[in-house]
Amino acid sequence: MNREAVVLDGGAAARTLFMGLMALGLALIYAPALYLLLASLNPGMQLGLVPPSEFSLTWYRSLLGDNRLLSALMESVIVGLATAAIATPIGLSSALAFRAMSAGRGTFFLFILFAMFIPGTIQGLGLSVIFKVVALKPSWLTVAIGHLLWALPFAFTVSLVSLAVVRPNMIAAARDLGASGWRAFRDVTFPLVRGGVVSSFVFSFLLSFNEYARAYFLVGRQNTLPLAMFGAMNSGASPTIYALSGTILVISFALVAILLFIGWRRSAP
Amino acid sequence: MSRRSALADRLRRPAILLSAPALIVLIGAGLIPLVLIAFWSFWSFDPATYWIKPEFTFDSYRALLGTGRLPVFVRTTGLAALAAALCTVLAFPASAIIGMMSGPRRATVLLALFTIPFFTSALIRAFAWRLVLGRTGIVNHALVGLGIVDQPVEWLLFSDFAVTIGMVAAYLPFAVVPMVLVLARIEPSVIRASQDLGAGFWTTLRRIVLPLAMPGVFAGFLFVFVVALGTSTEIQLLGGAGESSISIMINDIMRVVNFPLAFAVATTVVVVLAAIVILADRILGLSRMFEDLGA
Repeated sequence: MNREAVVLDGGAAARTLFMGLMALGLALIYAPALYLLLASLNPGMQLGLVPPSEFSLTWYRSLLGDNRLLSALMESVIVGLATAAIATPIGLSSALAFRAMSAGRGTFFLFILFAMFIPGTIQGLGLSVIFKVVALKPSWLTVAIGHLLWALPFAFTVSLVSLAVVRPNMIAAARDLGASGWRAFRDVTFPLVRGGVVSSFVFSFLLSFNEYARAYFLVGRQNTLPLAMFGAMNSGASPTIYALSGTILVISFALVAILLFIGWRRSAP
Repeated sequence: MSRRSALADRLRRPAILLSAPALIVLIGAGLIPLVLIAFWSFWSFDPATYWIKPEFTFDSYRALLGTGRLPVFVRTTGLAALAAALCTVLAFPASAIIGMMSGPRRATVLLALFTIPFFTSALIRAFAWRLVLGRTGIVNHALVGLGIVDQPVEWLLFSDFAVTIGMVAAYLPFAVVPMVLVLARIEPSVIRASQDLGAGFWTTLRRIVLPLAMPGVFAGFLFVFVVALGTSTEIQLLGGAGESSISIMINDIMRVVNFPLAFAVATTVVVVLAAIVILADRILGLSRMFEDLGA
């Protein structure tokens, strides 16, 4: 986004209409999540009832005693860290490749993006069959490989956007002064995109942590958290599931908002 | 000129090396499994081993057409198209506000608000709609409280209505991002010229902005459609009892380990999706939209 200012001014009526429709869209995205957050503080068993008469952290406390959810949480953290650890360097590397390309950029981008559009169930099914053939036992690793395909397009895009501050001239100057390609990357490029790399890591972690469909055919004995939560949601959910949902939503929102804000401050003049 | 091409030569080899890790992952873990299951969808189910045996047959594809599987394809496609259409209608004004009707500061904040949902749990966000739309949810509470209805409305939850609203809420950002990309790239002088010549807001929008933004609008529709086609979350959490979708159908088939049939369903979907994306790229120049990203 490098607009200097308003390009199209529609007058009050058009602006109100467009703003209203946008507000409706944002409300559809955010209102249910906020409502769930409020409801999770209701100590009664009937969480849906409005307005709650009192607020308490009852369900958040009982969450700490739910071992089944906690071990699933542990599994998802391991898978998420593994996914992010692989997706981040590959994302950065392919973003550098994209910039170095003289032709075929769009096709390369579309190819990376295509992995995102294969339905998770199908991608998971395909991978599970391959793992079966090469006798790789289902574990956190097999799930991480599946999640890698989902996280990579985002890791690539985030790296690419953060690379915008690196001008080709800077690299050319470093090379003219005798730096090797690796040295130019280490001393010029990487320090400039460090923030983007951190964002890419956190975003990849969150994408993996919250991914549901891709893990279905890939998990071993231990379910990932979304799979465990799905089970709990469909079996007369104890209200702890609302507390867990609330916790995950707040942490995800906060992490992304902070990273976007830092990135914005960095790129602002 | 010669200096430029020398530079380009120096950069081309790194491009191949640097793209190698991504290509290895995408081909090895993404493409090869899909090609293999396409191949194996023509093999036979082996009841002795609960696996497949190399006997070429069209049986799985014949089974696809029978016993109520076709309606699942049609319904899933219909729901995805409906969600995509609604998302497109909602996303265009939002994208216009972000891409051309705001200063840089507000545009950044609004774009961030539409980006955050990508990184939150679609499962939890669908689940939250249960609280909102349920019998004792806030919507029914308000409807009864205001005297609009006497009894809580039953079709709000566990219905196509709930599934559609859940999908729109979940996938709206997929429509906003490509539209903003295209709208933000429209040359401001073109808009100014139109307005200097006396065109009002709506005329400029219809005659100048919309035609220029069409690739983005179609891309937005397509992105939502493709993602909604493959989802199972919203239907499993918000749909009526026994409601199916293509992904749920695959899970069901795998529960009875009929591998070739599951492979046939998956292959059909992937071939259709690939055809749509490639066709859209040909017609709309989808890949050109991203060429100057991060430049």
